[in-house]
Amino acid sequence: MFVLSFLARRLAQGAVIISLVSLLIFTLLRVVPGDPVRLMVGGMAPDSLVEKIAAEMGLRDPILVQFGRYAGHVVRGDLGHSFVRPANGAATGGANFDDTTRGERAAVADLIRDALPMTLQLAALALVFALAFSALVGIAAGLRPGGAADKIAFAVSSIFISLPNFWLAIVLALLFSVKLGWLPAIGYGGFSYTILPALVLAVELSPVLIRTLSGAVAAQMSESYVTVGRIRGLSETRIVVAHVLRNAAVPMLNLLGVQFSGLLGGVIIVEYILDYPGLGLLTINAVLQRDFPLIQGIAIVTSAIFVVINIVVDLAATIIDPRLEY
Amino acid sequence: MDEAPILSVRDLGVALAPAFGGRRLLDGISFDIAPREIVGVVGATGAGKTVLAKAVVNGLDRTLSASGTVRFRGRDILGLDPRAMRPLRRDIAYVGANPMGALDPTLPVGRQIAEKMRAVTPGVTEDAARRRVIALLEAVRIPSAARRFHDYPSQFSGGMMQRALLVDAMISDPALLVADNVTQPLDVTVAAQVIRLMRELTAQFQTAILFVSSSLPVAREAAARTLVIDAGRLVEEQPTDALVARPVHAYTRELVAQIPTIWTGVPAQPRSREAGAARRPIISLEDVSQTYRVRERGTFAGTGALRAVRNVTFDIAKGDSFAVVGESGCGKSTLMRLLSRLERPSAGRILCEGQDIARLSGGELLRFRRKLQLVLQDPFDSLPPRTAIGAMLEAPLRIHGWRDAARIRDKVRAVMNDVGLSPTLYDALPLGLSAGQRQRINVARAMVLDPEILLMDETLSALDQTEQFRLLALFDKLQSAHGLTYIFISHDLAMVRKACNRVAVMYLGEVVELADNGRLFFDPGHPYTRALLSAMPTLEERRYRPEDCLLDGEPPSPIDLPAGCAFRSRCPRAFAPCAGQSPALVTRGAGDFASCHHVPAPGAGLAQAAAMGSTGRIRRTNCGLPKGMPPPSRGASQVKGRATRGEGRR
Repeated sequence: MFVLSFLARRLAQGAVIISLVSLLIFTLLRVVPGDPVRLMVGGMAPDSLVEKIAAEMGLRDPILVQFGRYAGHVVRGDLGHSFVRPANGAATGGANFDDTTRGERAAVADLIRDALPMTLQLAALALVFALAFSALVGIAAGLRPGGAADKIAFAVSSIFISLPNFWLAIVLALLFSVKLGWLPAIGYGGFSYTILPALVLAVELSPVLIRTLSGAVAAQMSESYVTVGRIRGLSETRIVVAHVLRNAAVPMLNLLGVQFSGLLGGVIIVEYILDYPGLGLLTINAVLQRDFPLIQGIAIVTSAIFVVINIVVDLAATIIDPRLEY
Repeated sequence: MDEAPILSVRDLGVALAPAFGGRRLLDGISFDIAPREIVGVVGATGAGKTVLAKAVVNGLDRTLSASGTVRFRGRDILGLDPRAMRPLRRDIAYVGANPMGALDPTLPVGRQIAEKMRAVTPGVTEDAARRRVIALLEAVRIPSAARRFHDYPSQFSGGMMQRALLVDAMISDPALLVADNVTQPLDVTVAAQVIRLMRELTAQFQTAILFVSSSLPVAREAAARTLVIDAGRLVEEQPTDALVARPVHAYTRELVAQIPTIWTGVPAQPRSREAGAARRPIISLEDVSQTYRVRERGTFAGTGALRAVRNVTFDIAKGDSFAVVGESGCGKSTLMRLLSRLERPSAGRILCEGQDIARLSGGELLRFRRKLQLVLQDPFDSLPPRTAIGAMLEAPLRIHGWRDAARIRDKVRAVMNDVGLSPTLYDALPLGLSAGQRQRINVARAMVLDPEILLMDETLSALDQTEQFRLLALFDKLQSAHGLTYIFISHDLAMVRKACNRVAVMYLGEVVELADNGRLFFDPGHPYTRALLSAMPTLEERRYRPEDCLLDGEPPSPIDLPAGCAFRSRCPRAFAPCAGQSPALVTRGAGDFASCHHVPAPGAGLAQAAAMGSTGRIRRTNCGLPKGMPPPSRGASQVKGRATRGEGRR
């Protein structure tokens, strides 16, 4: 019962958030400089043709009218068609205004459907790497604040947080692909292509996770239930494993919800550099090409993912700690 | 005591590790505990009682080092490492002063007790452990124990949690239980229940108890023999009754002398500053209620109404020292927030000299604020740590429009002198000041505006007895010098007995009794007041025996109040009418009122109330009936009392 009402409430809130995000993106895209029609038809096309196509596509209507029309389609699952990408996957953009292939532009939903699993796979692997490493270092550091593990954790975090991800991506590609030949780096041709970008992202993620985890564990270790637990006769292992880690997991979960958004941001750069065909690469190309429907589609899907992840995180936190209410 | 002692402490000393300064916390402590014996340990805050309790169970922090021996059944346990100590945890149990922090907040209470049982008694199955926990939870009178087994610590009240922790301690049939200040965070009626329960359990389980307490009266309730600790040294050891009757050591004599008395030896009763007819109300509450909306878990948008204060009506006369007493959750803090207009009531009116304070704004509100000032409970958190004391006291004057720096300085110096703060503190920071000094700053900060009313929210409860005495003397002096009216919000009946002339007793948001000091303590009209009096820790012979008056259980939730009298679920005298209708405040003559169906109140009371003259008013209220229903025909039980009464029983 609690779970159902929780889900109902949070999904309703989520729907509001998503529609606000799409309205915002929709409006911003239409007030920034740069005319997508000019990009589509090419620099040599006469102004009259630009206006004609723009009017045909409804781009000269008031923004709210355009948004209403767009939202109507989205609700039915239709995210529209890309302005510039052809359905057959050939070169994008149009140098010739009389390009015949323009009629069959790609559906945004299809483009996202192809790219999203790639990025989710990358994000999940990065999360696994980051969590495994942070748990190892962070818990050890939290159990003995000021001890050797704590100092190592501090040093590692400081180094990791100072490494720019674009630089690290290039260096790791150089090291693992070019010099050692262990891992493939550029493009995608199988699961092994995910490992290198995931490592880069994990390095970016871990400092914050280590910091939070060691802080949370140290804070829990000084709670009175730990001291009293020892006097009550619980073993140290039992106190740490069954109680301290359980309690320390709550701030960790909340952090993960937030970090995931950062992860999708980091994905843009890493995917672009390593030419990994995920959502990040799609986003960057869409932005460069002023591909409004695609940007909007990505924004809606991304915000939906955020909403869902935060609902899951909060639900998990509530199950661990029943005092929490969201 | 022919049996070999179960615990034998010899020359126990505890000091901070050299890295932390090496200060000695305990020195040369030696005592024995026989099997099945309850031994009390009393001493002031900081005397080393908790350190002693922790040392006895070999649970000292790593920053402390111990010397001497602690022999349990002849074996020295002081030096045992945690691993070697664990098998002994079955026989040596411990309950501390912080019940809410003793268990993991994210797991059900029952499961954690079962976990402990299985940790200290090998070979117990999970199922057997669960059955034993439920059986013991029932034994300590936790209602519907099988369901409570699955509840989380946050769903237990403090008193219930402390009982659950007693179960946790007793689950393995220990031979020795160390109880460190277990009643300290509890309300008096609940604390009395817990002590009674501990005595029963020791008899049942043949357990010896080391009962550590900061209160001698509480220790006397529990222990036949008591040790007194002062500044880390054992200064006296006697059977408790002899200790109270014939204290030998100077410190013990002082300790016994400082225990407040309720019924005997109170010199002059506090009285109102204004004589008879001159009394006029300075604050009037008219049917004041405060209801909060709280979100209900497990519903989509459901909210419950938490009725924190319900239909409270009374007057506070100018020059009175008025007390509002009651246990945690009775609504006294909400009442404080209403009186100080931090909140506005959801129904009813609060009048200050005829003005409805909920309607004040701007300059009028500022004038009201000047008239009524608040003195808070916590002397540490209520002062900004990085502001000079003089600046702290100047701030209210500046807010209220004073501009001349020299005049402000003179005024602040005068007030500091008034409350007994040295003028050299003017530019000092509050760091390092004692709780008593800090509380004087709080009083000065209120007094600097020349208020007419001081609202004291548990102002004295953070102070020890000696400081309390001094501040009460100061309050008395200020009251005569400035004609102040005091409103004390407190749970401490002994302090109220000493300092207040008029008392309102609250239970679950209602005022259940309103009386002058003498009448309340010698002839209470409400069973709840009697229960409070019977549970008070005191060294005197009690006027009200706990066996007759003490309450079972705990107050119901203010979110869904039972029909009828709110007190009936715990009342030893509940009878049929209590379930039907909530009793209204009935006059008991001479300006005293109680809301109980047992108070005989026919014609006489009405006639008396009617004869009270211009200040006494008869008012009909529909207290206890749903809104919109007509009040029942005028009867004595509908005469709702007001505090503005000329002559009391003085």
